[in-house]
Amino acid sequence: MLKMTHLAKVYRTEVVETYALRDFNIDVKEGEFVAVTGPSGSGKTTFLTIAGLLETFTGGQYHLDGVEVSQLDDNARSRIRNEKIGFIFQAFNLIPDLNVFDNVEVPLRYRGMKAAERKQRIMDALERVGLASRAKHYPAELSGGQQQRVAIARALAGSPRLLLADEPTGNLDTQMARGVMELLEEIHREGATIVMVTHDPELAARAQRNVHVIDGQVVDLSEEPRFHTQPHVALS
Amino acid sequence: MFSYYLQLGLRSLRRNPVLTGLMVMAIGFGVAASMTTYSVFRATSQDPIPQKSSQLYNTQLDNWGPDKIEKGEPPPALTYKDATALLRAHKAKRQTVTYPIGVSVIPDNPSRLPVREGAYATGADFFPMFDVPFLQGTGWTLDDDEKHASVVVIAKSLNDKLFDGGQSVGKQLNIDGHLYRITGVIKDWAPQPLFFDVPNTGGFDEGAQVYVPFTRAVDLKLPNAGNNSCVEEPGEGWDNYLRSECIWLSLWSELPSKAEADSYRQYIEGYAAEQQHAGRFRWAPNTKVRDVMTWLDVRHVVPKESQVSLIVSLGFLVICLVNTVGLLLAKFMRRAPEIGVRRALGASRKDIYAQFLIEAGTIGVAGGVLGLILTGVGILGVGLVFPEPVARLARLDPVLILLTLIVAIVASLIAAFYPTWRAAQVQPAWQLKSN
Amino acid sequence: MQIKPILSALRRHKAGTILIALQIALTLAIVCNALFIVHERVDKVNRTTGMDERNLIAIGNDYVGAPETFAPLMKSDLQTLRSLPGVVDAYVTNAYPLRQGGWSTGVQTDPDSKKEGISTALYFGDDHALKTLGVRLVAGRNFNAGETQVVKREQQPGAPQIIITKALADKVFPDGNALGKVVYMAKGKPSTIIGIVEKLTSPWIENNYVDGDYVVIMPVIFDSSFQNFLVRTQPGQEDAVFKAIPPALYGANRMRVLPEKLGVRRFEDVRARAYEADRGMAILMSVVCGVLLAITAAGIVGLSSFWVGQRRKQIGVRRALGARRSDILSYFMTENFLIALVGVIVGVVLAVGLSQWMFTHFEMKRLSLTYVAIGVVALLALGQAAVFAPALRASRVSPVEATRSV
Repeated sequence: MLKMTHLAKVYRTEVVETYALRDFNIDVKEGEFVAVTGPSGSGKTTFLTIAGLLETFTGGQYHLDGVEVSQLDDNARSRIRNEKIGFIFQAFNLIPDLNVFDNVEVPLRYRGMKAAERKQRIMDALERVGLASRAKHYPAELSGGQQQRVAIARALAGSPRLLLADEPTGNLDTQMARGVMELLEEIHREGATIVMVTHDPELAARAQRNVHVIDGQVVDLSEEPRFHTQPHVALS
Repeated sequence: MFSYYLQLGLRSLRRNPVLTGLMVMAIGFGVAASMTTYSVFRATSQDPIPQKSSQLYNTQLDNWGPDKIEKGEPPPALTYKDATALLRAHKAKRQTVTYPIGVSVIPDNPSRLPVREGAYATGADFFPMFDVPFLQGTGWTLDDDEKHASVVVIAKSLNDKLFDGGQSVGKQLNIDGHLYRITGVIKDWAPQPLFFDVPNTGGFDEGAQVYVPFTRAVDLKLPNAGNNSCVEEPGEGWDNYLRSECIWLSLWSELPSKAEADSYRQYIEGYAAEQQHAGRFRWAPNTKVRDVMTWLDVRHVVPKESQVSLIVSLGFLVICLVNTVGLLLAKFMRRAPEIGVRRALGASRKDIYAQFLIEAGTIGVAGGVLGLILTGVGILGVGLVFPEPVARLARLDPVLILLTLIVAIVASLIAAFYPTWRAAQVQPAWQLKSN
Repeated sequence: MQIKPILSALRRHKAGTILIALQIALTLAIVCNALFIVHERVDKVNRTTGMDERNLIAIGNDYVGAPETFAPLMKSDLQTLRSLPGVVDAYVTNAYPLRQGGWSTGVQTDPDSKKEGISTALYFGDDHALKTLGVRLVAGRNFNAGETQVVKREQQPGAPQIIITKALADKVFPDGNALGKVVYMAKGKPSTIIGIVEKLTSPWIENNYVDGDYVVIMPVIFDSSFQNFLVRTQPGQEDAVFKAIPPALYGANRMRVLPEKLGVRRFEDVRARAYEADRGMAILMSVVCGVLLAITAAGIVGLSSFWVGQRRKQIGVRRALGARRSDILSYFMTENFLIALVGVIVGVVLAVGLSQWMFTHFEMKRLSLTYVAIGVVALLALGQAAVFAPALRASRVSPVEATRSV
């Protein structure tokens, strides 16, 4: 589904050249739930923004759903973002001027859908995340966990093939975080491909497999499906 | 999508009413100032007789000599000698010689006071040449001109005053003690500018109520109420005045085709050359035959004031636009996070362009409405700034209304160009990296 | 105050900087020129005519009918007017200052000269003229009663005695002693200068026919149907006389027309009408200036507020590092000053350019540097005043903003 080979992303200023990603390789199959982990500044967020066609890359190849994306123009990229990808951000990124319903509607509007179909999908998505009753509320009136769930509804409403999540529980307390993770697992069970970036090992453990990123490169831990806990040492 | 963007635009404007208000006011004032001064400018520079202005010509020739005239421009009017000679030559389809006369009308009713109205001495061709609209009767005939007949054409207002607006063709009119027979009543006719008598009126005048034959006026020695310029003393008496080189008459000719105009020009040159050969002029022929619009342009009929104020107003509009660019930039870039989200969710650059241009367009419409109201006020107040004859002409007609709205919307779209471009350049990734 | 860091910070916000500078530049260009025009027009409107304009009424009268001569009618009207209660004096003439219409003729010292002569305004009058006008004789004498002649329409007026203005005297006889000299306005009719008045202007307010305050007063009653009467009233009696004139004149003789607008006017109305266009222009330019300055100020406030908002975090960091409130305030004030400085420099160039263009196309006078200087100071001050509130708000940003991440 999502295949990057020898991908590189360089930031050049007048003085300095920074490699955010170098020789980055990853292959996410359809239906997988992959967690991308690594320390701060490792480049995992850059990976996600490139994966979501939010940014261009400087070297290597990226095939999304079989299509090589580096030659696509802005219009084509926007369309793919709209139809194939669903985003969930750490900072929710809901539009404060719009109510819940209108926020979820945004990607559907860019698809040119008819009003009746939009309404159907929106209400379905809100049902999924359990917020159908709050459709007319504004983001400022919701808790953090509720806002994130609206963001998930927004990501789901267009029935995307690929869900990209960037620290989806980063701004939530433990209880809310648990709720969101359960939702993600449910969505995965229904057949979605999910790539989640996180630095929390507990969250990473709930994914199918982990991909570890350090200094812009992948250190693949796919042979170890579970994170080892420290063995209990009894002291007598 | 249009109605979606419209909704979004209106919502965004409501969010920050102060900023929105500022932008609407800037556009409103800028547009109003420009449209008000434009209405005056348009009124003073329009074609007064569009259906015929390219067929009507004014004749000038230099009878004073190059050292008495400025920049080679012949005097603005003709002498009696030349005007009547050219009239007799019949070199045009229709011709008329005109001068303003100062006369008073004495009503029949002895209890009413005499009235003085604008009056012209002119020829029978005047009325068909200038498409003067008649309410009753007709003008007089060329025969009446020949016979120096004592006839008169009056206008509606005078007819209302003297005859209570009733049928007056055939009635007698007492002008300064002489009786004239009314042959027709015209509408209150005053093309703006008053092209046929620019040298005496400056172009903007109320028009005349009384028209009598030129030949009769000369018989009665009716004095010229307009400008009189002589380079040497005419000598004493009316006859000497008619023989002098004083200029006071306007000669207008109707020449429907270019060929006729050209041959007329040649004739006038030839006439001036004759005068030179006969010794009357000691200089080469210097003649000008100009159509209405050229004549108005040469005479600088459009007042300097109206041009200057139009230019200042346009400068004002430009400043308002620059102002709006800045405010729109601030407004749009403040929403960079929202733009980033929309782009991430699949909006293309074109979608962002459309959304923000439409938002700017709604400001344009609001500014246009405000501008329209202010233009209305401005036109009412035009009388405080421009002299009455010019101010009267500024009017809020449907064309001006439409133009005001269009200018406002186009102006706001132009102002929105750069800010919208900046908005569309917002990279989705920048806004979403929260670490 | 470190200017360099401010400049380099501005370089990264080119758009906003350019917009504010551009606005200031354009506003300066227009405001300078507009205020200059206002000044010019106000000067023009305040020009004195040399006569005493208070308690003066001007009458425009058309005799109706075609009698042999109008002279007896004029004489009887003068008598009627002079005997009205509250009237000091009156006379009849063809024109007067600010009338916007009249006679001009050439004045020669050489009777046989072929040249034009000095273009001069011609006022007819009699021995009551000077008193009615309220002008001062600085040399010579007034006309005697017998010196006034009736001149028929077809004749060329050329009286043996004339009174002229000092300006004309100096122009024709630059070495002084114009009194008693002879000049010619009509062929074969010499005129002796018997009196010189201090100042009297021509009927026209622009110099189209006459190049200066060149006026000749002739003791002539011109026999035509259209006449102007000037009536001087006693102080406080102007209103009463104004109302009494039409019935008095019509009562004496109905065969006349006193036109609606120009028939009987107080002289202040004559002045107002003559300077209508100039007054209007001055008003228009003043309004444009005012609104323009307000809009520019509002724009600067708006844009500056936006910038302050965008840089909250940066301000917080500075404060956290030890900057005082006054440091932040002066930072923004200085930043605005620098932008405004660039704006006024460009603006001065534009102002001068605009003035030059108007000079070539509309024959308006060129901008004086005083106005440019005033404009520069005004706009710098305006910019500072406009940015003060946003800068104050910036100084109030709390240091804790440094820690906020969003």
